[in-house]
Amino acid sequence: MASLLRCEGVTVRFGGVLACDAISLEVEQGKIVGLIGPNGAGKTTLFNVLTRFEQHDAGHIYYRDRLIDHCHPHQIISFGVARTFQNINLFANQSTLDNILVGAHRLIGNPFSNLYSLPSARRNEAALVRHAMEIAAMLHLSDALDTPVRNLPYGYQKRVELARALASRPEIILLDEPVAGCNDEETAELRGIVQRINREFGITMLMVEHDMSMVMNVCDHIYVITFGANLANGTPAEIRANAQVISAYLGEQVEE
Amino acid sequence: MAGKIPGGALPAAVGNREAVAEQRRRFIRQDFMLVCLLFAVLLLIPALPFVKGWMAAQAVLVIVYIIAAQGVSILTGYTGLVTVGHGGFLAIGAYTAALLSKHFGADVLICVVAGGAMSALIGVALGLIFLRLSGAFMAIGTLGFAFFVGTIVNNVKVFEGREGISLPPNHVFGLPIGDIGFYYVAVLLLGLMTLFIHSLVRSGVGRALKALRDSEKAAQSYGVNRWFYRTLAFSISAGITGVAGALNGLVTRFVSAEVYSDIWYSVDMLVAAIVGGTSMLMGPFIGGVFVAMLPFFLEKLADFSFILKGAVLIAILMFAPAGVGGLIAKPFQAMRRRRLAEAGARAVAGAGVAESVAQEGARNG
Repeated sequence: MASLLRCEGVTVRFGGVLACDAISLEVEQGKIVGLIGPNGAGKTTLFNVLTRFEQHDAGHIYYRDRLIDHCHPHQIISFGVARTFQNINLFANQSTLDNILVGAHRLIGNPFSNLYSLPSARRNEAALVRHAMEIAAMLHLSDALDTPVRNLPYGYQKRVELARALASRPEIILLDEPVAGCNDEETAELRGIVQRINREFGITMLMVEHDMSMVMNVCDHIYVITFGANLANGTPAEIRANAQVISAYLGEQVEE
Repeated sequence: MAGKIPGGALPAAVGNREAVAEQRRRFIRQDFMLVCLLFAVLLLIPALPFVKGWMAAQAVLVIVYIIAAQGVSILTGYTGLVTVGHGGFLAIGAYTAALLSKHFGADVLICVVAGGAMSALIGVALGLIFLRLSGAFMAIGTLGFAFFVGTIVNNVKVFEGREGISLPPNHVFGLPIGDIGFYYVAVLLLGLMTLFIHSLVRSGVGRALKALRDSEKAAQSYGVNRWFYRTLAFSISAGITGVAGALNGLVTRFVSAEVYSDIWYSVDMLVAAIVGGTSMLMGPFIGGVFVAMLPFFLEKLADFSFILKGAVLIAILMFAPAGVGGLIAKPFQAMRRRRLAEAGARAVAGAGVAESVAQEGARNG
């Protein structure tokens, strides 16, 4: 399998703090890859580097073997790299449909033919709206299409995040704690959706997540980082059995 | 295989996406029809027996405020940036038109297009300079711009300072036009601006601007180029205001620094944009008419109009942040919700969805 997203030796310093120390990871096409680690391990920083909101001091990031070290945040979507946000970052006052349509922004075509609503832009817009509604139906958001997202329950908002990502027709979605703050029912629902998106549509995922049941059940491959550095990587079973990982999470076992 | 996605139901579950699409279209249609009705009235007014030429000239001044309010509301409504310096763009439009008219005897339409274009061009430059400003800093920056323009027109020779520039009579396609003729030109331009805004706000560009306003980070993650769209909004806003300025200069056939370095123009335009709101196309109409007509009604108490303007502004911000347009839109939105709820009784039309998205996935993978 070809690697889709890859980073090598990514290092980020904030003043004297070494947030990421030569972290490397590789996301294979079609897989769901997990990124875990204790609080403060550097997951969020690495995530921000991958989504280009943070600039790394050393190392390289590749997408399909293309160097993307100097891309701006708005550029990576054009390769098919979409993301969701940890604390839900939707356009709160706008309807579900409009939120999903922003996801399709890279497909609007020439902004100037949009400005004047030229026939080509109108046809394209109609197609985008249709596609957005299909995605909404798939994620059970049809009944909320016209509702401002701030009025929606938490679980709905999480699904709108995913729907917006899907509307960009991505190759890979970077999920920043997709089930943070969800109850068991919502978690199970989102797990089903994530797996379904991956299996039915072949969309690759990289997931930062604290919920171990989610990570262990969904991911094909897991990277563990701690203190800003790679600790281990492997299948869920390997990670579960890894003594280093256990000690990183639970601390060293004290000999009596 | 993951089975059916379990999904909760909203209290007032509305199930039909066709209905949503239909209601969206209906609201846009209603909004548009209202404005068309308004234009019909505007076009018929000069036919009334008691209308005199000077009234038409006054009416153009009202239209100037409406167009200016449209320009400002693009910025305040769609990008969330507050500007108290759009008087500067009004001046740029007016002086561009005035100089072309005086020195080249240019056609009204050419003057207006040039005024808008010059203003839009300077809007691009200013948009780039102000790219990193927001909130109160943006307000102060734009205020500085208005003072800057005021100082330039006061002191640079070609603008003839407080003496002002008197303009020759207006003509369109070689035909001289009086006040009534000019009124029709102004109504035509107002119509074009309204159509443009109608097109802008329901396009992907309008959506991108609102996205950038509500969450810069999320908008950028989905490909909205911050500097391009902010500069574009600034330029469009400046261009529309420039058109208003050109009309203002030409209809009075006189531009002088005394008028165009007055900061109250900028404030009035902002008040008009806020009072009208951006919920409906007619918002700037309401705001523009309010600001332009107030001094007429309070002829003897001109100073009182400032107090009243301020009071109305505060009341609007407190009780109707979406402006008067927002208040008018409410019953329409309620109707839309009711219709959707009725449509919800019908079945969810979700078939064929998985296939289409699957094809997308296959194409990408």
